[in-house]
Amino acid sequence: MAPVTPTSSETDLILVEEKSSARVWVLNRPKQLNALNFPMVSRLLDLFLETEKDLSIKLIVLKGIGRAFCAGGDVANVVRDISQGNWRLGAHFFRTEFTLNYLIATYSKPQVSILNGIVMGGGAGVSIHGRFRVATENSVFAMPETALGLFPDIGASYFLSKLPGFLGEYVGLTGARLDGAEMLATGLATHFVPAQRISSLEEALYKANSSDLGIISSIISGFSQVPTLKEKSFYHRLTIINKSFSRRTVEDIISTLEREAAGSNDDWILSTIQSLKKASPTSLKISLRSIREGRLQGVGKCLVREYRMVCHVMRGEMSKDFFEGCRAILLDKDRNPKWQPSKLELVSDKMVDRYFSKVDEDDWEDLELPPRSNLPHHAIAKL
Amino acid sequence: MASSSPSSSCSSMEKINFRTKVLSRHLNHDPTGDKPFLQCSPCLSYTPPELSEPNSFFDVKLMRKLMDGHNIEDRDWLYNLIVQSKLFNPQEKGGKIFVLPDYNQSMEQQREMTMKRIEYLLDNGVFQGWLTRKGPEAELRKFAFLDVVGIFDHSLAIKIGVHFFLWGGAIQFFGTKRHHDKWLKDTEDYVVKGCFSMTELGHGSNVRGIETITTYDSNTREFIINTPCESAQKYWIGGAANHATHTIVFSQLNINGRNQGVHAFIAQIRDANGNICPNIRIADCGHKIGLNGVDNGRLWFDNVRIPRENLLNSVADVSPDGQYLSAIKDPDQRFAAFLAPLTSGRVTIAVSAIYQSKIGLAIAIRYSLTRRAFSVTPSGPEVLLLDYPSHQRRLLPLLAKTYAMSFGANYLKTLYVKRAPALIKTIHIVSSGFKAALTWHNMRTLQECREACGGQGMKTENRVGHLKGEYDVQSTFEGDNNVLMQQVSKALLAEYVAAKKRNKPFEGLGLEHMNKPSPVIPSQLTSTVMRSIDFEHDMLCLRERDLLNRFASEISQRQAQGESKEHAFVMSYQLAEDLGRAFSDRAIFQTFVDAETTVTDATLKSILGLLRSMYALVTLEEDSAFLRYGYLSVDNAAAVRKEVAKLCRELRPHALSLVSSFGIPDAFLSPIAFNWLETNSWSSAQR
Repeated sequence: MAPVTPTSSETDLILVEEKSSARVWVLNRPKQLNALNFPMVSRLLDLFLETEKDLSIKLIVLKGIGRAFCAGGDVANVVRDISQGNWRLGAHFFRTEFTLNYLIATYSKPQVSILNGIVMGGGAGVSIHGRFRVATENSVFAMPETALGLFPDIGASYFLSKLPGFLGEYVGLTGARLDGAEMLATGLATHFVPAQRISSLEEALYKANSSDLGIISSIISGFSQVPTLKEKSFYHRLTIINKSFSRRTVEDIISTLEREAAGSNDDWILSTIQSLKKASPTSLKISLRSIREGRLQGVGKCLVREYRMVCHVMRGEMSKDFFEGCRAILLDKDRNPKWQPSKLELVSDKMVDRYFSKVDEDDWEDLELPPRSNLPHHAIAKL
Repeated sequence: MASSSPSSSCSSMEKINFRTKVLSRHLNHDPTGDKPFLQCSPCLSYTPPELSEPNSFFDVKLMRKLMDGHNIEDRDWLYNLIVQSKLFNPQEKGGKIFVLPDYNQSMEQQREMTMKRIEYLLDNGVFQGWLTRKGPEAELRKFAFLDVVGIFDHSLAIKIGVHFFLWGGAIQFFGTKRHHDKWLKDTEDYVVKGCFSMTELGHGSNVRGIETITTYDSNTREFIINTPCESAQKYWIGGAANHATHTIVFSQLNINGRNQGVHAFIAQIRDANGNICPNIRIADCGHKIGLNGVDNGRLWFDNVRIPRENLLNSVADVSPDGQYLSAIKDPDQRFAAFLAPLTSGRVTIAVSAIYQSKIGLAIAIRYSLTRRAFSVTPSGPEVLLLDYPSHQRRLLPLLAKTYAMSFGANYLKTLYVKRAPALIKTIHIVSSGFKAALTWHNMRTLQECREACGGQGMKTENRVGHLKGEYDVQSTFEGDNNVLMQQVSKALLAEYVAAKKRNKPFEGLGLEHMNKPSPVIPSQLTSTVMRSIDFEHDMLCLRERDLLNRFASEISQRQAQGESKEHAFVMSYQLAEDLGRAFSDRAIFQTFVDAETTVTDATLKSILGLLRSMYALVTLEEDSAFLRYGYLSVDNAAAVRKEVAKLCRELRPHALSLVSSFGIPDAFLSPIAFNWLETNSWSSAQR
């Protein structure tokens, strides 16, 4: 990939608008579907930090330009950095991004994210942790990392594991796409507002001039609609999802699905099995473990763990699937990654364990989260 | 699929609306409800201990691994399974979800919920391989799951335990291939629901005295079971009142007019539809001070006929024509060989007791790190409960003991899963001593924790107080604690007699120290000495060896005066009691030291050193035997007491991370362990 030459001032990547006591931050990199590169992540981090101190600001609205809210972190860039020799550059990117995620999850002012388009990976990281998530009929949500040789990061092991039943495992492992109605049903979105009402909603929010969660919630509810779930939605398959994705191992999940498939001709099961079989075996195993641990942890601990994991992924000691996945999906686009190890049974528990251990390098350190006052419960847990 | 019909999409719309409401509250605080921040509060605020306490000095995850000992990921999987299901009664309190049975339900409702939870676990494959897979790995996995289930609810663990460990275990251990083939798989799949009829109204710990009688009819090749009198009714039979379809029946076996002692049989008590079988009478044991999710029942047998094959014939059999056959001639020995494998119950009880202490301490200590009372300076801030030395002295020694006994419990588990004929005696003695020591410790700990939580400890949702009722029974079932401790002393005496008689050194049970000269205790104790493994070990050994010597000589004196051995035992109860405790304390200490030496991480090792010394020294402080028999001088006893207070101070900064290392997920603790101000706010009360 050709090196990106900065065409505009990097600050233009995030547009800042002042609307009375609200601040509107607009992700402005539409050609890349607003994928978050390092300047954007660190700019957002600065904005959040500055704004917290400014008592006159009461509300934050985050949205994207174009057909995406945000399609993720700029992974291709990270991979290029690493392949040029230093995985630490990548580590720096993730450390900044995860710190931003943590700040959002523990933020003292309400944030409304307008998810009127694609929300994937890193895009979920800057929105789902916030208080209000507004989906529309244009929303498409996915955590596609296992197909890239990565795992659901940005604190996804926290919010995915809090979804009803075992949907979190389903969404995180298969990379399934959710529409706005499904986002609302699962709780990833707090509201569903038809796209044509979004600008009036924004106007109403700016007028409200309030930080009160009840007031903001009722304003959004005033524009909300109850959407209809598609007939083919996975939400009608909760029983099978719970039955299979609750299993202890990835192998058990797949064999349970296969047993279910044998008794029916449900395309949904077949395509679910398909997406699991296409994903990186290493990614599947570390993702499952991560989501399972996430269920018992606070968002802070989740991010610390994910940071360890992502450093191991970038160092490529156990597997280089991340690079292979990026090559096949993002660069060469042949969509035919050659995973290594190639099969689930070749990924041993020992190998999985390694992803969760500290990185054994002298100046490497665990993710240090910024101290937060009034830490909410969901940010803390013991293990 | 049903999902394609319009009616179902309508009902799923309702589902969405409902879920939306639930989930927006779930992922956030309820936006329409309370204000999430307390700055407007004119009074107190809650600060999570994670913020107010220093960062952990050691790696909590590593310590958790050491504490749980095995199958960490399996445990987390099962915690996940429980937290994600509505069947486990998740409730939001103060912005967090807690799972706890609704103990305000009627006894009948609680029993049905227990059964539904079992079905859920069954459907999710939790019980796979519990009876059909062999080997230590499979057994440890099973133990890990039982630990987790017990952390949720005692009734659930007991109902599962009765079915798998007692009914299933009896078939495994007392039965032979024909029984295994017929019953084990069906038991694992809950096609049959088993119970275990041993205890009678008139006989509990003394199984040999039970009165149920079985005879054999060689014409029909059937056994005939009878309850000859009211004291012979089977009592406390878990599962019998509502759900069990089959039972193991313990009964005297009378063949051709000759009593062959206690044997075990399989009898059906209900058909597949739950109707009680002919000639069986069943009554309820009624409401209890705990375990109301278990349907304990009473059973009478009126000439109940069962096929000859239903005798569990691992040690003795009856031929079709009615001849009694056994390789072991002595009925006493036969009985002992027969019951030996049943130690699994004592193992699981000991282990589960220590997990309850962990729950109690985690809650009480977390509360004590957020709750303040009284100022020591005028208009100064009130003092955190755990900053009072007296509060430290109440909780931290119990914390150290819980660590020690946790290592003891892990040792007991590994001993049990490695069981071989040569280990049967050791398993019997260690499991008896540890079961008594750990369950007594648990009751004491829960009481202290309840009091340490003040009035909040009274609320059922806060668990600590309620657990006392739930776990009280542990000192009674699977062998009364006092009886078990007497058995330990008796067994130690037998070792003593055998060693002296054959003039051979002691071997096994950690008694090797008896072969060495009596340890010499320094006349003046310094802090360094008191914190050394050697000193601590010497003290505990000194007490054990002296008490064993005294016990042996008292028994032999009494026998010399013409008393029977049995009578001599009964009369020497004071020494027997002290000796049983001395053995258990020393053996637990040994498991602590063994665990400590395997640890390589320096910070972990140093914190374990503090805990180990606390365990040893508080044992010295609390047992009056050390002063009574002069193992400790009056001065040294004072030094020990001072050192305990010092250790309390040193452990205080680690209190939070030490209870975090118990690895019990937040959802299984209670609201007072977290933001109790928000939990109890007016807006929370409006929901």
